[in-house]
Formats: sequence, C-alpha cells, structure tokens
Amino acid sequence: MVLEATMICIDNSEWMRNGDYSPTRLQAQSEAVNLICGAKTQSNPENTVGLLTMAGKGVRVLVTPTSDLGKILACMHGLEIGGEMNLTAGIQVAQLALKHRQNKKQQQRIIVFAGSPVKYDKKVLEIIGKKLKKNSVALDIIDFGEEDDGKPEKLKALLTAVNNNDSSHIVHVPSGPSALSDVLLSTPVFTGDGEGGSAFAASAAAAAAGGGSFDFGVDPNIDPELALALRVSMEEERARQEAAAKRAAEDAARQEKEGGEQSSSSRDATMAEPTNVLDPGTDAKGPDTMDDETALLEQALAMSMDDPRASQSGTASMGDTDMSEATHEDQELAYALQMSVQDTAKDSSSQTDMSKVLGDQTFVSSILKSLPGVDPNDPSVKDLLASLQGQTEEKKEDEPPKEDEK
Amino acid sequence: MAAEPAAAAPAGALQRSQVDLVDFVDWSGVECLNQNTGHSLVNALKQGYREDEGLYLESDADEQLLIYMPFKQVIKLHSILIKGPEEDGPRMVKLFANKEHMGFSNVNDYPASDSVVLTTAHLKGKPVTLKYVKFQNVRSLTIFIEDNQSGADLTKVQKIALFGTTVETTDMKGLKKMEDH
Repeated sequence: MVLEATMICIDNSEWMRNGDYSPTRLQAQSEAVNLICGAKTQSNPENTVGLLTMAGKGVRVLVTPTSDLGKILACMHGLEIGGEMNLTAGIQVAQLALKHRQNKKQQQRIIVFAGSPVKYDKKVLEIIGKKLKKNSVALDIIDFGEEDDGKPEKLKALLTAVNNNDSSHIVHVPSGPSALSDVLLSTPVFTGDGEGGSAFAASAAAAAAGGGSFDFGVDPNIDPELALALRVSMEEERARQEAAAKRAAEDAARQEKEGGEQSSSSRDATMAEPTNVLDPGTDAKGPDTMDDETALLEQALAMSMDDPRASQSGTASMGDTDMSEATHEDQELAYALQMSVQDTAKDSSSQTDMSKVLGDQTFVSSILKSLPGVDPNDPSVKDLLASLQGQTEEKKEDEPPKEDEK
Repeated sequence: MAAEPAAAAPAGALQRSQVDLVDFVDWSGVECLNQNTGHSLVNALKQGYREDEGLYLESDADEQLLIYMPFKQVIKLHSILIKGPEEDGPRMVKLFANKEHMGFSNVNDYPASDSVVLTTAHLKGKPVTLKYVKFQNVRSLTIFIEDNQSGADLTKVQKIALFGTTVETTDMKGLKKMEDH
C-alpha cells in the first residue's frame, strides 16, 4: 500500500524487433507495462505511473505520472522501433519527471526495461545510481533480451549503487516459452517487497498459468461451489470413460473378426471422449493403448480413402456414445444398436452414392454390358436409361420454367 | 559573527524566553535526503535520542545532507545549535525558510536565508545566532549541509536544536505569570 509515483522506461531500440519473446520483444514489454500499471493502481488508487521511451530519436516522455490507466494504455500503441537505447539519459529524464510529480508525498520509483546491450561503463552507471540514491529514488531493473558480456555485472553495479534498504531490485528474464509478463508476476517488481500488490499478482498468476496451481483454474477459496461442481463432474466423466473403455475392449475382441471399420468407430467413441475431458483418466487408457493405436491407423486409412464415408461413421460414433450410455449393462443390445445405426448411415451414404453413379452414363452402360442377358442396344433398356436421365433433366427444366413463370 | 558574545550561555532557553522549537516540529512532514537509514534524522532531532552520544545522523551516498522540517505553527527562528564530531561534523550549512521540497539539484538556485560556517567550537555545543529578521515568519525550514570539517566522504551530526519563539500562540510562561497576579 505504499504511495508511489513510478516512471517506466521502455526500450524501443532496434534490438526489440527480435521475436525470442513472443510475439516481439516490444510487444512483450507492452504487456508487462499493462500489468505493472494495473498492479500499481490497484495496490493504492493514488499511485501514479508515467511512461517514457529511451531509444528512437531520443528520450521521449510519453506520459507524465498519472493514475489514468487509459492514457497509459493509449500511449503504448504506435510505438516505433528504432535507434539505440540511451540508458543514462533515460534514467535522468525519468528522475526529472518524478521530481515534478504533483503529489510530493509519493515515493519515487523508476522501472527500466534493459533489453539492448549496455554501452556505458560501470563507473558512469554507479554515479547515476548514487545520484538516484541521494534523491531517494528506487530503481527496478528488468534485464532481458540481449545477453551481453558484462551486462549483468554492469546492471548489478548500478543496482548496488542505488539500493537503499532493499527497495530496489533486479530481475533477469531469459528468453523462453513463458511470456515476459508472466515471469515478472512472481518477482518483487510486482509483489512490492512482499506487501500490497501481492493480491493482484496472485490472481493474475493464477489466470496466466491457466490454473496451474489449482486443479480447474478456479481458486477453491474464491469460488468453492464452482470448484466442487467441476471436481464432481470430472469424477463422473472419468467413471463413465472407464466403463466405456472396458466395453470397447470387449467389443473390439468380437468385432475384429467382423470388420475393421466398426471397431474403429467404437474406438472413435473412446477416442472422442478423452479429448473432451480436461484431465483424461490414465487408468482407463492403460490397457487400451495398443488397440487404440491400431484403431487410429485404421481410422486414418478409412478417412483417406473415402471422406464422406468417414464423416458418416463419425456421426455414427457420436450416436454410439449416446447408445453406450443408455445400455451400459446390456452389451449385446448395444452392439445390435450400433450395427443398426451403422446400417442406416450406410444406407443414406449409399443412396447419395447411387444417384451420383446413375448420373454417370458411361459407368451405367459399362455395368449393363457386364450384366448377362442385357443388351445395351436393346431399345427398352435405352428407354429406361433415358427415362432415368429425363427425370433429372425434367427436374432441372421444371425449376427454370417455374422461375420464368414467377 | 557579531552576536557571539551575547550568546554565551549553553543550550536551553537563551535570552528572553527563546524556547527549544523541537516541540513545534511537524514530524509527519519531516524529510531527510541522503541519510543513511541506519543513522537517521531522528537520532539528531528527537528529545531522548539527540542526547545520546552513540546515536547520530549520517549521510549516505556522499557528504551532503538535505533536511526539511515543517512546523505546526508559524515561528520566529533565533538561533541554531549543531553538535557533531570534530572531523566529520558539518562545516558549511545553509538555511532556507519556507522553501518546500527542495532537491540537491535546485539547492543552489535560491539564495539562502542565512548561511553559517561552523567551527569546532560550535560543534562542541555553542549555538549560532542567525539573522533574526530573515526568520520572522517561518512555516518550514530546510537545512542544507554542504560539506564537513575534514572533507570526509560521510558527514555525521550528533544533535540539531532550534531556538526561537512562536508567533500565533502566546508564551505559556507569560500566561502563568498573569495567573499569579
């Protein structure tokens, strides 16, 4: 709850185009700035935050310390990358901006994002640090981006020169999968010497980590009913999944003799279920892994051969899950139902196929030739063919005249 | 300083009911820049602490100190007493009346209300009389210690005491005398 005025110094030099912190280093900084502003304002509504850029044509103050978050966020847009970072000038301008803060009771703090290499010597940095300490300004350094030889030592020297009573901190963020802002959440930059902003940081950390610390991304302390409901539904799903897996294993033993596709569709059901569940039950899957692999292979083959057919079987498998729920005791009945569903699916698919096939005249004539006792040149056969085609043509003719009539 | 022979008596109330102004200091607004947090301003200002030889105010990054003291009411400042060690005690001291929130950068931009060069005699406990006319209407006082006796890196101050009178309220001793009558 410390009353504080903060100036954030952003590095917008050419080194910030790099994408090792996703999406670019500059974007990562923007997100971190958003989080910092939020945390500071939340810990004490009278806190103010200001923003300046260190590179580009020169050090430029974008926003003087203000408690208006909207202004700060608006300034983050349209930041241009270019030039080289001028660390000393940036810190000095930040100090000046803090000196002219409106509420003199606020403590002064500067947060520096040091992404590009530091070209100053230790001596210069130490002098700057001493000046900051003399004017009781705290400094937080975020060391990321370029890893120069000697950069950590230089920044360390700056920190020791500034540090008064552990109010200043340095954080090293290596490039990696986690975002810059997520790494910063757990550091003293946010937790503010272990008080105040920690509540904000804890909730943000929970959200960012995707519920890593809690089971379902819901804090049982905040919402116990929701957490309980989620846990119960998870257990139910797991139990159902185990039963389905057992049934599928037995079905597979029977169906493997019948046909590969059906086993794949039943496997499809068991495969579909685990993907829907948040935390798949490993116990049920254990004995089925080998079968699942072969089933997957069959499924893939089926899909590559005939796409419409596979989609039909997919719908059939969805129907299969419903069936298995209803008849989990009687497995033969389930099997029978499954077969019937399969047949209807096949019928509908075969009907569409049939119409296509009939439409292809050359194919029809070739079939007719192969049939014994049928002479394609026979007029009656020709009439039949013509009538079939005529039906389709009539339909087409019907539609345009109707449109003309209209 | 011409007033030195008159200010012969050590500490406490000097001539004509000058009181120790430590009671009128507004502690919530007191600030000291460049102080070592282990050896802070309270050691030199507050009643019990400043008498203790072991407790002193020490500077941190360099030898300069900037002390800001607001008062609860308007006062007239007569004299100041600064005690410190012979070598590391303050030497050049500048006083500013009614200048708020000064920093080391603008401390030389304004002319001081009064400036004092302390000798070792002063540091032993001899108060320094100030230009009284300049301190007639003082709401806040800024003390800038520029350097020390030996030119050391750090400055140490044992005790700081201010003497003067208040403007608005009546002198309590005067009230008592009235009652006696």
